[in-house]
Amino acid sequence: MNIDPKLLRTIARNVAVITVLFIVIFSTMMAVNYIQTRGSLIHENEVLAQLKALSDQNSENTELFDQIRQLDLMARKAFFVNKNALTSGIVILVVLFVVLVVSLRIYYDGLKDLPDKEIDPIDDWAMKTLARKYVRWAGVGFAVVSLMFIALNMNLYSLLPGGDEKEEIAAVEAITESESAGEAAQAVPEEGVPAAEESIGGEDSVKGDSVGIAEAATATPVEVSKVTHNAFRGNNGSGHSSAKNVPVQWDVTSGKNIAWNVKIPLTGHSSPVINGNHVFITGASNQSRELYCFELSSGKLLWTAKADNIPGSPSAMPKTAHGTGLAASSVSTNGSVVCAIFATGDVMGVDMNGKRLWAKNLGVPDNHYGYASSLLMYGKTLFIQYDNTTAPAVIALDPQTGNERWRKARSGDKIAWGSPIIAQVGGKPQLVLMGLPNMTAYNPSTGEQLWKLECFSGEVGASPTAANGIIFGASEYSSVVAINATDGSLLWKAEDFLPEVSSPVATANHLYVTTSYGMLACYDVKTGKVVKEVETGGEFFSSPMIVEGKIYIMDNSGRMFIFKADAECAQIASFNTGLKGMTTPAFTDGKIVIRTETNLYCVSNPN
Amino acid sequence: MKRAVSSLIISATAFCANAVNRFPKPDFSSGYEYPTHYYPVPAEPIWGIIDLVVLVSLMGVVAYSVIKRSIRRPVLWITVLSVLYFGFFREGCVCSVGSLQNIAAGVADSSVIVPIGVLLFFVLPILFTLLFGRVFCGGVCPLGAIQELVHIKSFRLSKAISTVLGLIPWFYLGFAVLFAITRSGYLICRYDPFVGIFRLGGDSVIIGFGVVLLILSLFIGRPFCRFICPYGAVLSLFSRVSFKKTEITRHGCINCDLCRNACPVDAILPPYENQIKESRSKGVQRVLLYMVVLPLLMGVGAILLRSASDTLSLVNKRVQLLELVKTGQADTQGIETVELQAFFGKGGTVEDLQKEVELVQSQFKMHSTWVGAFFGLVVGLTLLSLSLKRTRKTYTIDPAACVSCGRCFSYCPQNNLDPTSLVLNTELLKQKS
Repeated sequence: MNIDPKLLRTIARNVAVITVLFIVIFSTMMAVNYIQTRGSLIHENEVLAQLKALSDQNSENTELFDQIRQLDLMARKAFFVNKNALTSGIVILVVLFVVLVVSLRIYYDGLKDLPDKEIDPIDDWAMKTLARKYVRWAGVGFAVVSLMFIALNMNLYSLLPGGDEKEEIAAVEAITESESAGEAAQAVPEEGVPAAEESIGGEDSVKGDSVGIAEAATATPVEVSKVTHNAFRGNNGSGHSSAKNVPVQWDVTSGKNIAWNVKIPLTGHSSPVINGNHVFITGASNQSRELYCFELSSGKLLWTAKADNIPGSPSAMPKTAHGTGLAASSVSTNGSVVCAIFATGDVMGVDMNGKRLWAKNLGVPDNHYGYASSLLMYGKTLFIQYDNTTAPAVIALDPQTGNERWRKARSGDKIAWGSPIIAQVGGKPQLVLMGLPNMTAYNPSTGEQLWKLECFSGEVGASPTAANGIIFGASEYSSVVAINATDGSLLWKAEDFLPEVSSPVATANHLYVTTSYGMLACYDVKTGKVVKEVETGGEFFSSPMIVEGKIYIMDNSGRMFIFKADAECAQIASFNTGLKGMTTPAFTDGKIVIRTETNLYCVSNPN
Repeated sequence: MKRAVSSLIISATAFCANAVNRFPKPDFSSGYEYPTHYYPVPAEPIWGIIDLVVLVSLMGVVAYSVIKRSIRRPVLWITVLSVLYFGFFREGCVCSVGSLQNIAAGVADSSVIVPIGVLLFFVLPILFTLLFGRVFCGGVCPLGAIQELVHIKSFRLSKAISTVLGLIPWFYLGFAVLFAITRSGYLICRYDPFVGIFRLGGDSVIIGFGVVLLILSLFIGRPFCRFICPYGAVLSLFSRVSFKKTEITRHGCINCDLCRNACPVDAILPPYENQIKESRSKGVQRVLLYMVVLPLLMGVGAILLRSASDTLSLVNKRVQLLELVKTGQADTQGIETVELQAFFGKGGTVEDLQKEVELVQSQFKMHSTWVGAFFGLVVGLTLLSLSLKRTRKTYTIDPAACVSCGRCFSYCPQNNLDPTSLVLNTELLKQKS
């Protein structure tokens, strides 16, 4: 059958035009559909995210789980329907493109490419001259782009006057920041040498404080120390503070060196935490669980955040021992968020203005004395040692949202009251938990268990400490142990002096243990031999802190002992503060904040 | 600023490399049992042999058709076959274009083993080019073939513009070799615009780029081959000195000008008519000037690229990792990223990584110097070649640019192979006159 070539070309042209129209319309529709449905991705589904957040707070609600499952399934179906639609659309477009090419080929088949209007100069030499010009410009363009890359890669500080100095300062700041993040636990000073500068939170702490300062609306600006005390026993739970000019004498009764002394609205045994001009503490009663923020400079109560209306929170308070109560766990902060936990299992995150960011109930801990492990924040993660009788676990949360980063069941461990610490081992952080019967180290990023060593018996109430890659733990009716943190192997074990509640603290050479029968024992960290024992006659539940080369330890009667942190443990001071307390004081430059049974007071060095 | 540049480059690289849209696993257990993982078995060696046989056969057919018979139709069918076999069936790999990176890496580092198949894929097209011109580009290379198939009508670009764009393949070649010998990645493979189309999946940005090239190919002949392909640039060197060259006609050119517009790659040069008179001494002075400037250009190129070598080295994964480690260390509020977890988890130390990176950076410094000099050489030689006057009496094929597609044969009135073309060409001559 012969088809008229002209007719064929006309048909081909019309087909090509129609195909182009189809392609344009179809592409537009696909683009619109893609833009409209791209939000249906599961990980971008806001409703699903909200429901998940609700379910995190209310783990018992099976109905909510079912709703999430159904919505999740719908979202997945929608995703695949869209994906299939997109794939089909692309196939149709490809077919249309092939039709277009074939029809255009037929159309142009009869039309040979005739020489058309010259786009170049007729003269070959003129064209080459023009090409040379373009090539020269291209070469210059390439050189300019290269120079831009080079300039951007240069350290512009070095071009400025005094640039080297600025660079040095920047380098020092960077080192300080990096050290302060995680090395406080490892930055163990030699005796008599102050600990390295600490400024966890860094800029954040200043940021957080600026709000408090603004709220205080004082006429004169308040000087805020960068030395923080972000958790129980200081940053990373190390038992060290880099605070300077710390008072060595005070008396609450006479007011000597007392900056302020205020009554805490509700009772508790949590230790104070300092970040900038903020002092955080918790208190609780059967009716209310509260987080308080006091102004460090004045003692003024800035705000109170209540742990109320939390889904899953028990209506009846769990039974606790008198010495524990509902607010025994210390809070932790990173300068942006402060997190608190109570014996009810309620945990919450509050910003520096007192605004509650999130709250959830982890399930009421099965604990016969009452939950007492303190929180610890490291970087952007909040760690909770949730050792209880039924389901001991370690939980990592996002302090900004309360979302779970990871959770590890602590199988093989039983109930304990210790608090987590961060130890720097070979430049890497380890999350170390002291439980019953194991000392366990985890990767703080993933929760991966790094090592575990069985070493305790009885009831474990103290927390571990670390120095130079060695983890120390001590517990009454058990032993003092030193563990190589690189592989979890036991270095030595001793049974001379053991703490009941008080946690030990270590320097590069010595481990200091304070007992509930008033002994301060100094162990050699290499051998485990007791090199010094000091009888004080007191009873220590509070934990010792090493500041400016001195050991600060307060007994339950409120008597403060200050020893030199060396092998001799020479007593520097011993005096009655005037108020009883079992908590561990918090330190910052020139100030100590102490919680007693009823009050919170600040000791300030007049110098 | 340095960190900003680093972040930009790392992000750009990560963006381009992130080909898969991650899909979250269900948060709840549904009882679904995941199938057992299995890994694809290694490719049968027989396929490597078949690939080579097909490659040689197709190049042979193209050479026979273009050199011996001066006909296009078999070349067109080879084009279809190549797209189907090397493109969609073999999914664009092994390809001769990418193989030059393996060869470069193998030459620079004796520990890099270049498989014999890859070596032959690199060498055989060069060998055929030395004998018959760019017959590999004619229809055997799937990247060129797919553009050839969709090409409808040629709209010529200004020669000046196409000359400048013609520098890109040489620059691309330089960077591809630089990154290959520093073990920083195979640029040509990573940014192959058509492999995603052949594999029916891949990075959407790169596939989009391939689609744009195909749309351009409708009316501009082979944009990828002419303005991007580094292997084409290499072959163009050999085709200049090929034993046999493609001829438009063997019956003598009558300067009818019909063939020139038929060439999709603008490889047919018209007779040279010098209308602008320039004194011979001025032309000689220009040539001498460019000969003097040539080493200068090479020196400038070497210095520039050597100076930019630290920035270029950020493409290397180890250098990127060190940047991440430094950023991670400086971020006091940050938790370890997945990359850092993997690095430290495998027992890596910053000191070792630093040493490794210093070695990479020193390699970059040295090789960037050579590549920069090469860029200067390319620009200088291009300027020199544009400063030479060549006399042409008839329409002739530029062997460096010709891709042996054979489109021009049917346009030549001298190739009156059949009555149809005779009538057609007579008609065309009438129209022209």
